[in-house]
Amino acid sequence: MNDSLFTPETPVIHTAGLCKRYGRKLALDHLDLQIPRGGVHAIVGANGAGKSTLFRVLLGFLPPSAGSATILGRDSARLRPQDRARIGFVNEEHTLPGWMTVAAVTAMQRHQYPGWRQPVFDEVIGHYHVQPAQKVSQLSRGERAGFNLALALAQTPELLVLDEPTLGLDVVAKRAFLESLLYSNAATDGRAACTVIYCSHQMEEIERVADNLIILERGRLKHMSAPDDFRARVTHWVADIPFKAPDPAQVPGLLEQQQLDGLHHYLVLDQDDSFGRFLRASGARSVQSMPVSLDRAVNSFLAQHHAAPIAA
Amino acid sequence: MSRPQPLMIQIATGDARPIVKQIVDAVRLKIATGELLAGAQLPSVRGLAQQLTVNPNTVAKAYAELTAEGWLDARQGLGLYVATPRQRLSDGERERRLDDAIQRFVHEVAALDYPPQHALARLDDALRVLAPKKLA
Repeated sequence: MNDSLFTPETPVIHTAGLCKRYGRKLALDHLDLQIPRGGVHAIVGANGAGKSTLFRVLLGFLPPSAGSATILGRDSARLRPQDRARIGFVNEEHTLPGWMTVAAVTAMQRHQYPGWRQPVFDEVIGHYHVQPAQKVSQLSRGERAGFNLALALAQTPELLVLDEPTLGLDVVAKRAFLESLLYSNAATDGRAACTVIYCSHQMEEIERVADNLIILERGRLKHMSAPDDFRARVTHWVADIPFKAPDPAQVPGLLEQQQLDGLHHYLVLDQDDSFGRFLRASGARSVQSMPVSLDRAVNSFLAQHHAAPIAA
Repeated sequence: MSRPQPLMIQIATGDARPIVKQIVDAVRLKIATGELLAGAQLPSVRGLAQQLTVNPNTVAKAYAELTAEGWLDARQGLGLYVATPRQRLSDGERERRLDDAIQRFVHEVAALDYPPQHALARLDDALRVLAPKKLA
């Protein structure tokens, strides 16, 4: 590994001022992101937040419009085959040559990756009904997902990048996929467990697997922490305000508000007990607060700036 | 080689309680209700993580919290065991139990018709025997 300046302290992903422009739209907008080595990192964001574009730039499939991107300490635009051998990638579509048989694809990958571990491949593929003689085009989406993950894990990557890996999988396939990810990937033979970066819209899944939650919005980094720390930033308040409720523009940290059965519900960001005092000062007769689920927290955070039809 | 006792717990995603907290609460409840007895071995971090399909780091965090609170004991190289009960009662609960004990003592002693000083002296002696052990 002396061919690159990569130490355990080097972030596996490092972008600085990274921009990617499609016509007049900035898919990545001066993105500064550092992902440390180890653990499972989940990237969430609304559709079009720049997740897939980020992966394509990081893997050198797309040139950045501005700024820099490094992966495992190497410039993304100048990855060599030996660098790619250290990175596993499973894309959203699970694209593999449809005309090849499973056995042929496996043989090709085994030949290409020096760190190939057959037992890992066998263990992961064992969760799916995939026959070696089958053509890739004959596999279902879930089977292709499992096959793709088995290939990626067997190459013993230091970094595994997964773009919406469980999209469209049935419940059994999804569970098998998560188990493979979490437990086949554990530290073995004295080598460190690989770092997993994955994007998904499935909060229940992220809650189970992620060590770190990264929120992108319109190509920018909005938040990065352990999922539970993010959840703790959002609180749900219910106030009984008999007269006029405060102007939404004046409500500190407001993410979402609703009026249900005459009560005002507020989801707010980074507010402590002083928010209760604010509501009382705004005429609330009673005020109650409670924590929210991760799903609700992320949802309201993203809803804040989500595209919506202009209100009538 | 003893086998860990199965831990029959459920976690729910989408709950306002983080998964770490759900595991901590569930284990505490099992111990408090006597479903898990002192000395019982808990599932391994990896085992429980697989059982619940959660990240092993989440289970490790929950176990660390339970150990720090004195509910579990780590035995070097062997795993985690339910600790022998120590003071885990809330202040209010301790106070209530002390009241009960005093009431029972007073009712018993009243029927024996000793002067209060005599009973107090004997009680004092009995408690002093306990004290040095506690301090050691």
